[in-house]
Amino acid sequence: MSDAISVTGLVKTFGATRALDGLDLVVGTGEVHGFLGPNGAGKSTTIRILLGMLRADAGTARLLGGDPWADATELHRRLAYVPGDVTLWPHLSGGEVIDLLGRLRGGLDERRRAELLERFDLDPRKKSRAYSKGNRQKVALIAALASDAELLILDEPTTGLDPLMEEVFRETVREEQRRGNRTVLLSSHILAEVEELCDRVTIIKDGRTVESGTLAGLRHLSRTSIQADLAAPTDGLADLPGVHDLRAEGDRVWFDVDTAALDAVLRHLTDVGVRGLVSRPPTLEELFLRHYDRTGAGNGRHAGAAR
Amino acid sequence: MNPLTGTGHLVRLALRRERTIAPWWILLIVTLALAMVAYINRNMGTYELKLTYIGLIRSNAFLQGLGGGFVEPRLEVLATWRSGGFLYVASAFAAVMSVVRHTRGEEDAGRSELVRSAVVGRRAQLTAAMLVATGVSLFGGLVTAVVLIGIGLEPIGSLAYGAAITVAGWVFAGVAAVAAQLSRNARTATAVGLSALAVSYVLRYAGDASGQYWLKYPSPIGWSHLVQAYQDERWWMLGVSILAGAVLLAVAYQLLGRRDLGAGLLSERLGRARAPELRGPISLAWRLHRGLLVKWTAGVAFFTAAAAGLSPLGRDLLSRPSILADNIRNTLGVPADETLGAYSWYMILILAYAIALYPVLMTLRLREEEISGRAEAVQATPVTRLRWAAGHLVVTGLGTTALMAVAGLVFGTLYSVLVGDLATDMPRFLAGALGAVPAVWCVGAVCVLAYGLLPRASVAISWTVWILTAALGQVAGPLYGRWGGSPLEPLHYIPNAFAAAPLDAGPVVALLAVTAILLGGGLLALRRRDFG
Ligand SMILES: Nc1ncnc2c1ncn2[C@@H]1O[C@H](COP(=O)(O)OP(=O)(O)OP(=O)(O)O)[C@@H](O)[C@H]1O
Ligand SMILES: [Mg+2]
Repeated sequence: MSDAISVTGLVKTFGATRALDGLDLVVGTGEVHGFLGPNGAGKSTTIRILLGMLRADAGTARLLGGDPWADATELHRRLAYVPGDVTLWPHLSGGEVIDLLGRLRGGLDERRRAELLERFDLDPRKKSRAYSKGNRQKVALIAALASDAELLILDEPTTGLDPLMEEVFRETVREEQRRGNRTVLLSSHILAEVEELCDRVTIIKDGRTVESGTLAGLRHLSRTSIQADLAAPTDGLADLPGVHDLRAEGDRVWFDVDTAALDAVLRHLTDVGVRGLVSRPPTLEELFLRHYDRTGAGNGRHAGAAR
Repeated sequence: MNPLTGTGHLVRLALRRERTIAPWWILLIVTLALAMVAYINRNMGTYELKLTYIGLIRSNAFLQGLGGGFVEPRLEVLATWRSGGFLYVASAFAAVMSVVRHTRGEEDAGRSELVRSAVVGRRAQLTAAMLVATGVSLFGGLVTAVVLIGIGLEPIGSLAYGAAITVAGWVFAGVAAVAAQLSRNARTATAVGLSALAVSYVLRYAGDASGQYWLKYPSPIGWSHLVQAYQDERWWMLGVSILAGAVLLAVAYQLLGRRDLGAGLLSERLGRARAPELRGPISLAWRLHRGLLVKWTAGVAFFTAAAAGLSPLGRDLLSRPSILADNIRNTLGVPADETLGAYSWYMILILAYAIALYPVLMTLRLREEEISGRAEAVQATPVTRLRWAAGHLVVTGLGTTALMAVAGLVFGTLYSVLVGDLATDMPRFLAGALGAVPAVWCVGAVCVLAYGLLPRASVAISWTVWILTAALGQVAGPLYGRWGGSPLEPLHYIPNAFAAAPLDAGPVVALLAVTAILLGGGLLALRRRDFG
């Protein structure tokens, strides 16, 4: 079985809310997979189905070759989970929680535990109710990373971490990546983190998968912003396929163009005569913003393109 | 910024949450007040019957303590004597819960930060909580007074009675406001507030039961009794309560100014870095719930000792011929020389009804673990949902057994030393108390079934189950005119260790079977449903 996670057509409703509406997600073994989507898109719900907490209404979900609901116990031996909203037992100290979760999971690596405590700069003796949000998150992260689970499921693990700790987190995940054989499903809103760590990403919205693939492949789907000073005004540009948000002022034009139409558009420009040209490659932000946009039509103006 | 800025908004916010809670409290208070009037009218319609009833009360310290104060053979005095002992406490209880919910509870949930970072003054949240809580108390008292006047009771007395209900809430709103500043979280704040309530109840009860009426003066619950509605209406006692509430609020404001958001006044101690003993669901459950069990054990031991300490008094009362003694003998079918034992047995039963609350509270904690997300962290490990639940249930079951054993041991020992014989009475009390365990388990098992099947409603159902058990039971039942109690509640089937008939194992086995079925059903439903 080469896929660590494979989900097709997943549906989950809560009363009138349709949290998942035919979601697809494939995570290959050994890859770090980014799981993105606006608030309420259904990321946590998907993860909770994968953990066997919720039962899907329709669709199939396979996790490490097993059924997340029926084979929960065996599967949980092989995975570690960091919830998005970490709540701990107020009376237990961080160190006690790490020990508890590690032991329930079947033992934890003592050396690694000590090393992670050091790196994340966490005082294990503080009572959980005295921890800040970031420190609670660190407790859950250390408990998960100190296990030797083959699959890590991390639900927005860094939202409360300061930049220094966020860097420690990235370093740790990169190390895991290099060691191989660890699959990571990383739900996140932090694009830099996703860009740096993930091999592939899946973007979901309103419970449906809207985009999935490698980052390079996704970039390809996006548009390039162009500003050109031409030898003469031109009218033909607007009629070319793949040109969006065209604006003209005398001889100067601004527009966005689909990657696939780039050749034809450039040819048109050189026919008119180019005096100056600024082109900006598509950024991930633009790609995400396009999908995150609640109005969602997809042809909204690219951020900053028309300034 | 004015420290009260934004109070209006917060009051509206608090009222939104209160509207699913406060109406029930008010309904409970008004209903009980009315029910007692109807009860006295039905059962003690004539002056002679009222006199008999008063004779019964005067000859029984337990009953005398229950209602408190002096009784006269008049409808309104008897009715409010019956309801007051409970309603003052209910009003105070509601106020404590409400104030903690809107202050410390909000802080625990992290919502206060959100609220205070908006344009809201430092004192606004506490002020809003106090306004809402005292408003609910005022409403509860006012509606009661209006309704009682409406059914034709004397208006001045009815107003005094309603006011006494209201000020009980006001004093304890002040107590809760201070408790919320002292404690580090809502649970501790509630515990501090309710402990204060318990102490003032015990003082008041002890004062009335023993005839040492001065004991009522240091007790805020006693102040409400001392208003003496429908008798001589001592209005100035209301002033005492109001003044005490105002002073407590001033203290709370002072404390609020000295502490940080989310912090208590007592600094946090460090815990341990390692947890060698936490190995599985049972050790985790034990660690989480041992504090509650220790508190319960101390409480049960204390009240059992207090009840057993009255045994000599009971002997004196029962050695004289009286209606009460005859009643007990007839109902329980015990020989005349066993009456004292039977009376003590009745005390053990009262403790069993109280201890039945323990497994109910433990089931509520199961739900709390679930919605907080902490149970999810445990179940994302190889620990299955059933093993997670089983850990909690094992601690609950053994804890319940331990509490009944403590009740039996303490009562048996003190009883034997004071009026009995250690060799014969002690084992009887212990065996009798342990015989109640299956029935108490059964009460908890109903809550587990509710938790598995209807998680969202389970908190309300669990409380209802316990209240119904106690209300239909053999303790409340007789007070409401029926000696046997209802056969619908499990504690009805506890074998009486003092009855003349030999012990019958049948009911115990049946109770164990029912408990097992309920637990099995609850766990099966839990395993099949969505979690969280
Ligand atoms: N237990 C529940 N009961 C009712 N509705 C729920 C429940 N859990 C989730 N939902 C709804 O399902 C939808 C998806 O929620 P989910 O938590 O999966 O989103 P998310 O992608 O994790 O969002 P975020 O980025 O904010 O964490 C939301 O509309 C949410 O309100
Ligand atoms: Mg989420």
